[in-house]
Amino acid sequence: MRTRSLAKIAAIGIAGALALTACSNSSSPSGTGLGGGGSSSNTSNKTYKIGFQGALSGDNQQLGINEINSVNLAVDEANQKGDLGFKLEVLKSDDGGTADKAPAAAALLIQDTAVLGVVGPIFSGPTSATGKTYAAANMGLISPSATNATLTSSGFTTFHRIVPTDGVEGTQAAEWLAKKNKKVFVVDDTSVYGKGVADVVAKTLQGKGVSVTRQGVAATTQDYGAIAQTVTSSGATAMFYGGYDAQAALFAKALTASGFKGLRVTGNGGKSTVFTSGSGAAGNGWYFSCGCQDATTAPEAKAFNDAYTAKYNTPPSTYSPEAYDAANALIDAYKTAVAAGNPTRQSVEDAISKLDYKGITTEVKFASNGEVAQATVNLYEQKDGKIVQLGNILQQS
Amino acid sequence: MSAPKRTNPRTESLKRLVSCLLASLVVALMWGPQEGSFGNFWFGITQSIFKPRVLVFLALGVVLFLVISFWPKVVPYLTRPGVGPLVSGGVTVLAAQTLMHWGDGIGDSKFGTVATAVSNTPGIAPLTKAFFGWLCWVMLAVIFVLAALAIVRGIKVLAWVAAGLSLVAAVIAYVAHHSVVTYAHLLDHSLGVYVEIIGYLVIITAAVVTALSSAEMAEGRVAVNRVLGWRPGLPLVVLGLVVGLLAFASATWFSPQNFNATMSDTHERFRGTGLAPLAVQYLIWLGWTLFAVTTLVGAAAAYLRNRVLGWVAAAGGAISVVLTLITIYDFSKLAGQLHVDSATGPWQNLGAGGWMACGAFFLIGAGGFIAATAHGSVREALARAADSDVVASGRAASTQFLSAPGAMRSGIMLAIAVALFYPPTATGFWQSVLVSEIGIYVLLAIGLNVVVGWAGLLDLGFIAFYAIGSYTTAYLVGSLPIKPPSWLHMSPLLAIPFAVAICLLAGLALGAPTLRLRGDYLAIVTLGFGEIIRIVAVNADGVTNGSRGPDTQVPHPVIHLGPIHITWGLNQLQYWYLLLVFVVIVLLAFRRLENSRIGRAWAAIREDEVAAQATGINTFQIKLLAFAIGASTSGLAGVFFASQVGFFNPDNFVLNNSILVVAYVVFGGMGSLPGAMAGAALLTWLPEFLKDQVPAADRQMWIGAVVLAMMIFRPGGLLPARRRAIELRGFDGAGSQPRAVPASEGM
Amino acid sequence: MTDFMSYLVLGITRGSMYALIALGYTLVYGVLQLINFAHSEVFMSGAFGSYAIVHLLVGDGKGTPAWAVPFVLIAGILSGAITAAAIAWTLERVAYRPLRKRGAPKLAFLISAIGASFFLSQLAGKLFGRLTSNSFPAFWDQNHIIFHLFGAPVRTLQIVIVGSAVVMMLFLDRLVSSTKLGRSIRAVSEDAPTAALMGIDIDKTISRTFIIGGLLGGAAGFLFGLNFSLGNTMGFLPGVKAFAAAVLGGIGNIRGAMIGGLVLGIVENMVPVVHIDTSWTDVVAFVVLVLVLMFRPTGILGERLGRAA
Repeated sequence: MRTRSLAKIAAIGIAGALALTACSNSSSPSGTGLGGGGSSSNTSNKTYKIGFQGALSGDNQQLGINEINSVNLAVDEANQKGDLGFKLEVLKSDDGGTADKAPAAAALLIQDTAVLGVVGPIFSGPTSATGKTYAAANMGLISPSATNATLTSSGFTTFHRIVPTDGVEGTQAAEWLAKKNKKVFVVDDTSVYGKGVADVVAKTLQGKGVSVTRQGVAATTQDYGAIAQTVTSSGATAMFYGGYDAQAALFAKALTASGFKGLRVTGNGGKSTVFTSGSGAAGNGWYFSCGCQDATTAPEAKAFNDAYTAKYNTPPSTYSPEAYDAANALIDAYKTAVAAGNPTRQSVEDAISKLDYKGITTEVKFASNGEVAQATVNLYEQKDGKIVQLGNILQQS
Repeated sequence: MSAPKRTNPRTESLKRLVSCLLASLVVALMWGPQEGSFGNFWFGITQSIFKPRVLVFLALGVVLFLVISFWPKVVPYLTRPGVGPLVSGGVTVLAAQTLMHWGDGIGDSKFGTVATAVSNTPGIAPLTKAFFGWLCWVMLAVIFVLAALAIVRGIKVLAWVAAGLSLVAAVIAYVAHHSVVTYAHLLDHSLGVYVEIIGYLVIITAAVVTALSSAEMAEGRVAVNRVLGWRPGLPLVVLGLVVGLLAFASATWFSPQNFNATMSDTHERFRGTGLAPLAVQYLIWLGWTLFAVTTLVGAAAAYLRNRVLGWVAAAGGAISVVLTLITIYDFSKLAGQLHVDSATGPWQNLGAGGWMACGAFFLIGAGGFIAATAHGSVREALARAADSDVVASGRAASTQFLSAPGAMRSGIMLAIAVALFYPPTATGFWQSVLVSEIGIYVLLAIGLNVVVGWAGLLDLGFIAFYAIGSYTTAYLVGSLPIKPPSWLHMSPLLAIPFAVAICLLAGLALGAPTLRLRGDYLAIVTLGFGEIIRIVAVNADGVTNGSRGPDTQVPHPVIHLGPIHITWGLNQLQYWYLLLVFVVIVLLAFRRLENSRIGRAWAAIREDEVAAQATGINTFQIKLLAFAIGASTSGLAGVFFASQVGFFNPDNFVLNNSILVVAYVVFGGMGSLPGAMAGAALLTWLPEFLKDQVPAADRQMWIGAVVLAMMIFRPGGLLPARRRAIELRGFDGAGSQPRAVPASEGM
Repeated sequence: MTDFMSYLVLGITRGSMYALIALGYTLVYGVLQLINFAHSEVFMSGAFGSYAIVHLLVGDGKGTPAWAVPFVLIAGILSGAITAAAIAWTLERVAYRPLRKRGAPKLAFLISAIGASFFLSQLAGKLFGRLTSNSFPAFWDQNHIIFHLFGAPVRTLQIVIVGSAVVMMLFLDRLVSSTKLGRSIRAVSEDAPTAALMGIDIDKTISRTFIIGGLLGGAAGFLFGLNFSLGNTMGFLPGVKAFAAAVLGGIGNIRGAMIGGLVLGIVENMVPVVHIDTSWTDVVAFVVLVLVLMFRPTGILGERLGRAA
């Protein structure tokens, strides 16, 4: 059995080498080539990193991929423009979208001293699990998509987000629904986001005297036949779905199959090309309420849309534009901090708090608790496989 | 297996060739960053297969085919002296040049990045450029081929040439790395070049062994065994010596951000800042002296098998560890007060030197301890060995080294040393991974091992108990929407007995109605139970706050016990040691359990439930007990998890995690505590390690492949329990009866 | 009543797909006494294989002539079945046979199957993207109402699904009860060592059992993709449910798997009828399963492939 012990030795050798890779300490900001690395006074060669924490694996990885693509795009563009005065890199850290993997993901970003600010965490759960750690490290966070309302009141002093909470789009969507409908069916996907929005919609509708039926359907569901049948037989004239695009697409198909004729509405999470392509013709006639500009048609967003599509071979999807804004806002904060000299995490965080950056989805300007200044909620509709903006939802009939 | 088949050797090898090529194509599909989509359906496949790179994979497939086909002819060469060191040396160098860090501060500091940076730098020495450009690979290939030729053909001259070249290669690597570091004024903590040098040293050993190869040197292992195998504790002392030399000689005693200080440098740095006298003396001479003395005493005790000296070495080791810790504490605290560099306070990770010294002292002391306590058993074993003359026989001796008296305990001591003194030197990321992923899942695997490994019940809903533990904790600390009565409101550590008790009850509640079901019925019912718990947690908004998870953070643990006040904060190290305490307590309890009446009853049920019942075991009660004990362990894990992260939601308790824990236990080796722990540790470490190697989303694919390969090639798992290993091999080799699966598996 | 019947129609549709998948579990369990955890990925690969062919045939689906639809459907079913059978066969060769030859413990098979399952679903994700909401090109009007059953509309797709499932199950029943292969499958599941002594090639029988399970699972994959969606993780949940269905009917029992699948599908779709929130669907399904097992510990029809078929 000599051969077996050979394998053992090799295995031990590899394992040892791999374990050692973990030992070396973190890196510090320096030049990319070896050339000017030593002369650290020369800021034009300095490299800083933008951290990204999000789900790059696991059930919700698609959202994470939508966002990291945008962050990479924003950083590439910033580097190519050449007026930065420093170089930027992205350090991505995968938290799988769950709270238990989040501390390690945060530690990875915090231990790298070149990371001065973070885009993310993209989900509410990981944010709750790491908010304190980031606060202790003075690391500024700009989340493109963590919408749980409690995050800004949990003492996470460095947390900011550029999306309105579930409350904003939900309330206005409900007000619009209440104008014409007396009986509304509200469905959620039992996720933090979906349930949050649906709760707000249902509550606002009830406040307006609309009769509301409420059901949940797990986000992992593939067969929406039963719930679609329930919606159809309930006699409701409108249906609101709180959830993400892929599931909304399946739901749309099931609703069409069961012959539902009423109004179909969903929130920001459903408004994407994933919905459009997944639902096909069944998605036509769906409405979306979203506290965002239309990243596919609004002129200031056209360039982003084109660049994203060119780079990744797929159009931007849910939260891609928000992540693009978050990254650009953070780059803006880096610029401010670098211009003031000797940037630190604290100075970047200060710069984030004072940001006033015009993004493609919203005006990035944070209140003291980290919430973005109120955005207008727009109404969109899918027509012939394209999502088009109808305008401010409050002005719609 | 069944009817004798006539097999044509040519079709057989054709089949084998085709499957090797197919396997290499599958690897080609797995390799690389390409990602397809439904919009462009064949993109992923065309990118990975219809590109020139596929030729490399196909070539590998052919090599694999050749190796398998000519395996019987290859085997004799593999037993030649020097092959082992050559392969491990080559692999080490390869790993150093692909995976390891070579210059902190240059991008991700991996070899490839550094090499690119070097090639972009015009003014650097040509040798350096050559080394990072092509020389490193050429050297490795040439040396490896030469040494292999020397070994295979027995050409001694060639062996000497290979040894000489390896030496040159090691020197070139060092020079090249050094010139990079000086050129870029890096402050470098990387280890790549040192690992590379070690690799080349190992190859030199291989070559020299070949060159000097004679009957005696051929079995170098016998020589090693003769010295180490019958002297319990000596391997540990030797290991301690190596680690200690590295620790005391290296410039890592104070290396936070912009320093790399040896002991005396550290002393210089803190001169006149009021460093405590003990620490000063330690840094100047005491450390060295302690090291020399304990090593000498330890080595003497182990070599002479002297009991008194053993105890002295153990005591010396213990005292030295304490003194080293005090020193580390003193100067790191002072550094924090003085705001030196990035220092913030005591116990911070400011450099590996001191911790490695602790490890060395611990190992030496442990070696002494084992030498002192294994005295009697050695004598017996020696007597036995003299009778059967096993020492003289090469093969028997080579198995002796690992099964000699004290080997088991040496392993345990080594594990303890690593567990105690490695984490402080790890980066924040790895500390966090150690605690919130590896540690937790090790604890869960220990718990599930009782159910799956010992009692042989397949539980696919184990995470549910973990969830119950977490939610119980959140309830008791008042983080859930329903608040506990004020007299029940407590701090997280006090919640342990409650969480454990409730999980125990939940285990009973699930077990009582379902344990009468057989194997696979139980599996689906437990799976259902796990899902039910999770869905209830998602839907019971008013109780659990639904998918949002507890709204207020679960507080971190605190201990206020008389004069002792310990508060856990955000430092992961603290949690690591707390978790270590939990794991040790559980392990001690379970070890007793394994060898008790109950443990034997579990084994009996696992092997054959009917027979167990016939011998008077109340199988139902015993199985229920396994369920309850396993459940309560995960309750403990739940408490720890909730209070460490401070937040959780139902997403942490998905079915996939239950399946993973089962996979950890079986991967590690069912029914063996070290196995379950190793399996959990390895499979939770792997994804974090793969993070830097493959696209994040692909990690599960690789893990699946690793698990699959492990089960194919080693169905008993990583470290199978002894009883299982016997089952698998049989006392007399593999059973020859035709059967689909072993009938004895009473799962 | 109309509502009830609508849910029932949906339930039968879903249930017949569950039954097709459950048959794969039950067949393998019959011959190996093992849960083939990777069967969910066999099912998934069937959906992917049929997508490739259907996409090739109809492009984006627009302008597919009506006469071509049945052929496309048959091509879809066949390509799905064949792809899945190929995967199932490979799976047996790679993840089961080596372990069998070594006499590995039963749990090792489970874990190797789990490893294979992770591997296959993630490899599919890497090669074809990880979106979960992909759908087949819309090449026919699958929601066209054919007739009403007590007021409940019955649609083309539902007819196709239930019809093809019934045909395949009848075919399987015949195969197992009255062909040579069927006899060897039954013999192996009854008593493998004795069967071997009687001259039955166990390896071949097991291989073919996997292939049959794969054919059915792949066909189900196509039907499932047509009805709902396809993606690399689509196999996991139906796999778990079908496993539950197989256990519900009595694992190892072919007719049991058919009944178990139907019952589970109907139970799941009856959740709204009894006014339980649909988010509790899985809870209801599992509770029913547990209750059945409490009173009939070996499932509705009891175990043993040999006896029932």
